[in-house]
Amino acid sequence: MVDLIQYLPILIFLGIALALSTAFVFLPMGAARLTGTHNPTADKLAEYECGFPAFEDPRSQFDVRFYLVAILFIIFDLEAAFLFPWAVSLKQTGWAGWATMMVFLAELVLGFIYAWKKGALDWE
Amino acid sequence: MIQAIAFYLFATLTIFSGAVTILARNPVHSVLWLILAFFNAAGLMILIGAEFIAMLLVIVYVGAVAVLFLFVVMMLDIDFAQLRAGFIKNFPLGFALAFVLLAELVMGVGAYKAGGLALGTPDAATAPVAGLSNTAAIGALLYSRYLFLFETAGIILLVAMIGAIVLTHRQRGDVRGQKPSSQISRRPEEATINLQPEVGKGVTL
Amino acid sequence: MELLRSLQITLAEEVLSVSGLVLLLVAAWGGDKAARLISILSVAVLAVCALIAAPALCGSAMGPDVTAFAGQYRADAFAAFAKLLIYAGAGVTLIVAPAFFERVRGMRAEFPLLVLFAALGMGIMVSAGDLLALYIGLELNSLASYVLASMLRSDERSAESGLKYFVLGSLASGILLYGVSLTYGFTGTTSFEGIRLALGHGLSTGATFGVVFVLAGLAFKISAAPFHMWTPDVYEGAPTPVTTFFATAPKVAALSLLMRVSLEAFGAQPHAWQQIVIFAALLSIVIGALGAIGQNNIKRLMAYSSINNVGFMLIGLACANQPGAAAMLIYLAIYVAMSVAGFVAVLMLKDADGEPVEAISDMAGLSKTRPGLAAALAAVMFSLAGIPPLFGFWGKFVVFQAAVQANLLALAAIGIAASVIGAFYYLKVVKVLYFDEATDKVTGKSDLAHTVLLVIATLFISPLGYLLTNWLHGLAGNAAAALFHVA
Repeated sequence: MVDLIQYLPILIFLGIALALSTAFVFLPMGAARLTGTHNPTADKLAEYECGFPAFEDPRSQFDVRFYLVAILFIIFDLEAAFLFPWAVSLKQTGWAGWATMMVFLAELVLGFIYAWKKGALDWE
Repeated sequence: MIQAIAFYLFATLTIFSGAVTILARNPVHSVLWLILAFFNAAGLMILIGAEFIAMLLVIVYVGAVAVLFLFVVMMLDIDFAQLRAGFIKNFPLGFALAFVLLAELVMGVGAYKAGGLALGTPDAATAPVAGLSNTAAIGALLYSRYLFLFETAGIILLVAMIGAIVLTHRQRGDVRGQKPSSQISRRPEEATINLQPEVGKGVTL
Repeated sequence: MELLRSLQITLAEEVLSVSGLVLLLVAAWGGDKAARLISILSVAVLAVCALIAAPALCGSAMGPDVTAFAGQYRADAFAAFAKLLIYAGAGVTLIVAPAFFERVRGMRAEFPLLVLFAALGMGIMVSAGDLLALYIGLELNSLASYVLASMLRSDERSAESGLKYFVLGSLASGILLYGVSLTYGFTGTTSFEGIRLALGHGLSTGATFGVVFVLAGLAFKISAAPFHMWTPDVYEGAPTPVTTFFATAPKVAALSLLMRVSLEAFGAQPHAWQQIVIFAALLSIVIGALGAIGQNNIKRLMAYSSINNVGFMLIGLACANQPGAAAMLIYLAIYVAMSVAGFVAVLMLKDADGEPVEAISDMAGLSKTRPGLAAALAAVMFSLAGIPPLFGFWGKFVVFQAAVQANLLALAAIGIAASVIGAFYYLKVVKVLYFDEATDKVTGKSDLAHTVLLVIATLFISPLGYLLTNWLHGLAGNAAAALFHVA
């Protein structure tokens, strides 16, 4: 079982961060309401686009190439995640464990070479 | 005490951000709330002692999967008015499904109240080594006993990579890509020429 | 040393993965121009793997001798039987694919690679001795299959079938994984032997749920009713060589996996799953037979026929004994031959421009224009219907025999009745081929490789196949014995 007390500092840090960021967001809002400067009108709430009314939805469709980049990122991210337990357990797994990871890395390096050669990493 | 407070903090935030993920009108906001839910789930994982899973949640889910979701949401051309019309149309079906899920929840709680579950005794061969941290215990099993399956998992990742490239990558003929090596090895002498064109005549390169 | 011994036992998988990786580099440098070369090399690799796997089929080595990696993998006679069928199915796919894809300029260098990796996953599936190996193998196979289904990017139907397969397939994987986790929680282990021991002490409610979920997930993969809904759409939309693949290799792998899980892991509690298997068998037979009636697309028809045939094979599993398993394996081998013959014949149906002809009405009077092709198609249809002189009859016969011996008389009776209904639509196709007014649509030339494969497969399902019954029974009996050696 993990000794949870070692996570206490980060918990306190999270608590303080939460409290402070809440304060920063809501204090000005509260202050504006209480002092009476909170007075929204239609013109104030309209999006500002160089004085013109907005032409279209600001969201535009992404290129499908982003998807390929994201998938490749996930794959190599997962590969990296597997390195952590390997690194801390080498004493138990020994040379066999070391070789296992090298084979795993080789598999993905070959995939990486393939992706590079295919031009999947170029944006063009 | 602190543990209980932390649990309730993380659990409340997980449920809250999960609910907002579904209810948010803008799918991009949904993804952002989902990321918050992942973070809080990671906190819960730490509380039950699964540090490695918590780290995976942050690195893989927050770092990669959520980004992929965001890209996919931005890539899809979603018509929100149509989506909401579909929501009204499918409301009875959705309601029925929600009712079934609620019934399951009630049954689950009922089963829990009825008495402890008779879980199996864990296999001694895969029991964690005493004195190892959670992450090291996973490693000690994954890279020795389960190394065959681990390598196969590597092949699965490779197939995912091949699949993504086969299905989305297109070789385009009409663009001029960068060729770093030839661009760098180019010398000034090759790049410029001095000419003295006659008056009234053009230059041919 | 333990690790070296394990590596020796898993040699077929190692050869497959290493050659897959090497061919990946060939694909990276050679591009799509090297697709044919990679296909040929892949077929050679599959042949080598078949040679590596084959000796286990005739040998009687069982138990610890053939078990690798702490029971996660076993290379017994059963795995060898299934692997030979899988490699054959994958090999046929690779042989028929180039001619089909090159016409639409869709032959990619990655196609044979994905088939190889799918074969690797299927090999792990049929050799699995652990729920984790089961899942990893299944995912490797499924992931490659999703990509294969949507391989033809220019074809909307192909993309649609890939997406449908992916969404429903991942749902099934989720259900399966849920069952796996429940089974693990209530038995305390993921190894099949451990589960068998734990279930031997009795079946708790939680474990029952685990068994049911695992079976539901696998029923999806073998396209047994009521989890069959994806089959017609995927079979129709996927490029025909890929459909040939789906109807042979993954079907063998998933059915063998189902057999191993039910008979080995859950073998101590056959009553927990027997009813489910009987229900799925009956429903598949009926839905397969009724659904096929209105179809005009030959690929959809073959899809319903595969649902129907899976139902008959499940009758063998429902017996939950060794003769039943052997009968199921014999049926499986014959079914692979029928599928190969059927889909290769469909691939050869082309019009003058080389466009594939898929509508049954367009095949009217084929016997006058292409008598050989029409005869082969008719043989496939008669064989699928189980009409006596053809070999398809033998598969149904051994399964029903096993069911009767296991006191499942009602199941056998309903099965026989339903196969009569099924015969209706098979015979309808034969009628269109032989007695309808000729439309002269199918005039395209055929590839030599296709013709050779069609002749071999048709000879296998023809009455000549009966010469092989002794041999086939011996192998299937040996394979089934490997499943029951613990009991």
